[in-house]
Amino acid sequence: MKWRKSTITLLLAAVGAAATACSTTPPPAPAAPAPAAKPAPAPVAAPPAAAKVEEPAKPISAAAAANMANNCFACHGPRGVSPGSIPSLHNLTAGNIASLLKAFKSGERPSTVMGRHAKGYTDAEIEALANHIASVSKK
Amino acid sequence: MSRITRRDFLKLAGATGTAAALGTFGLSARAAQGKGPRVVVIGGGFGGATCAKYLRGGDAGIAVTLVEPNLKFITCPFSNYVIGGFRTMQSITHGYDALRKKHGVNVVHDTVTAIDPAAKKVKLKSGKTLDYDRLVVSPGIDFKWDVIKGYDEKAAQVMPHAWKAGPQTVLLRKKLEAMKNGGTFILVAPPNPFRCPPGPYERASMVAHYLKQHKPKSKVLILDAKDSFSKQGLFMEGWKKLYGDMIEWVPGAKGGIVKAVNTKTMTVEGELDKYKGDVVNVIPPQSAGQIALKAGLADDKGWCPVDPKTFESKMHPGIHVIGDSSIAGTLPKSGFAANSEAKIAAAAIVAMLKGETVADASYVNTCYSLIAPNYGISVAGVYRITEKGIADVPGAGGVSPKEASEGFREDEAKYAVGWYASITADVWG
Ligand SMILES: Cc1cc2nc3c(=O)[nH]c(=O)nc-3n(C[C@H](O)[C@H](O)[C@H](O)COP(=O)(O)OP(=O)(O)OC[C@H]3O[C@@H](n4cnc5c(N)ncnc54)[C@H](O)[C@@H]3O)c2cc1C
Repeated sequence: MKWRKSTITLLLAAVGAAATACSTTPPPAPAAPAPAAKPAPAPVAAPPAAAKVEEPAKPISAAAAANMANNCFACHGPRGVSPGSIPSLHNLTAGNIASLLKAFKSGERPSTVMGRHAKGYTDAEIEALANHIASVSKK
Repeated sequence: MSRITRRDFLKLAGATGTAAALGTFGLSARAAQGKGPRVVVIGGGFGGATCAKYLRGGDAGIAVTLVEPNLKFITCPFSNYVIGGFRTMQSITHGYDALRKKHGVNVVHDTVTAIDPAAKKVKLKSGKTLDYDRLVVSPGIDFKWDVIKGYDEKAAQVMPHAWKAGPQTVLLRKKLEAMKNGGTFILVAPPNPFRCPPGPYERASMVAHYLKQHKPKSKVLILDAKDSFSKQGLFMEGWKKLYGDMIEWVPGAKGGIVKAVNTKTMTVEGELDKYKGDVVNVIPPQSAGQIALKAGLADDKGWCPVDPKTFESKMHPGIHVIGDSSIAGTLPKSGFAANSEAKIAAAAIVAMLKGETVADASYVNTCYSLIAPNYGISVAGVYRITEKGIADVPGAGGVSPKEASEGFREDEAKYAVGWYASITADVWG
């Protein structure tokens, strides 16, 4: 039982943390929305083209990115591994996914349905969800 | 210490066996006894099975029990292709082994007979009860029998609805096979809201696909309670191109509203006319699943109001209603939407159980329909939360283009099949 003392110390420390985490009021700053897994790209230097979807003011949390990305798996298979005719995502990098989505969004790359989906996201959201997909995809 | 997550804390608490000392932390104490917070999920369909799996994926410390009466789930999606004659029942049947073995979900084959929101318990048909910290309710739909006079459960044996897949699907297929060449297939389409808005029109297409090959003198008559329907322009374009005038659609304003049926004479009574069918497929008006009604989760129209960000019930806190039973803004009652809602609800529940902030929600839907095996169309949408609840992101989504090339329709038919393979793997795999 040599480890016991230090464990208890840890435990007590943890109780403090848990007390904060379990309270109903939103936790204070440090525990607030987790930062994006990869640093959110700095707001793109004012894009020349007008009529862009407005970029959200607040950063996209990792959890919000996951919420967006999880929807992709309904067609592209669990974790982006597609068992059927729809292309898999697990073999793509975050950069690949993001640039494909942007090309679908602009119409530069023709599609059946992807253009209709990609138009639902800002460029920052596209990057955040692409990062998430790449981070959970099986190799 | 700020870097010690609650999960680490639970591990540590478990390792030392000091549960009693931590008694004031309800969930944590239980976790310390080797059990995490308990979530019970009612229904192993698109919503429920997805939610169970993503809850476990979101936090393996949560004990998830899924209650579903059927040993195997037969999907409504693609059941129209069984009726069309190019898909087997076997190919639309899914089991719960992966949920059990791969994802550690406790799958119980039983039926929930009552929910006690105050005591946080559900009662099962077998007599057992289950305690929960949070409950997920995804029971699909039930039918409002006898709104169409004469159409009850017994009548459905003569005039199948086939709107819950299984024996009803097989029954309708058999009746279609037995129909004579030159016969009339009547499809009675329901009023809004109902499960799968394009479904009745895909069904009509599949019936026509079969009839064109085997009984080309026959007719498909759709008697509709509505004056318009999902992907209407695309369906009508496809019908004309592939089936000439085999399919006739009678909107509500022109006598399509059906008042009564008679299973002895095989007649359907509209507001203006009586119609006689050789096969009659009645899709009756619908409500949330019975258990949701019984538990007081529905409003007076029979559907369940929920918070758009968490799908937590507005009637009973601690209970999340997802899938067809819920009122989900402009999201349709589809398997795809149920899957999307389930993932958002699972993430919200994981956060709520940890006392963390619930992240912004984002929903997606794509409904493919086949007008023929190589002719597919789709409607898609991306959804966010506005002051009005869940709403389409303007500028995104919409339907396939009109007058598209054959290749485009073929691609969408191919993707429909791919979608089925993917989503069923996402739900039950
Ligand atoms: C012909 C047809 C075609 C369709 N095609 C498509 C399509 O192509 N794409 C698409 O996205 N959607 C499609 N749908 C819609 C889709 O089937 C539903 O939207 C989806 O099943 C809804 O999911 P759910 O979880 O709400 O309900 P369900 O998937 O129906 O699951 C409900 C489950 O709850 C169980 N249950 C009910 N009561 C209890 C209880 N008291 N205790 C325990 N368990 C209970 C039931 O046994 C059932 O297994 C189609 C529907 C039809 C009818």
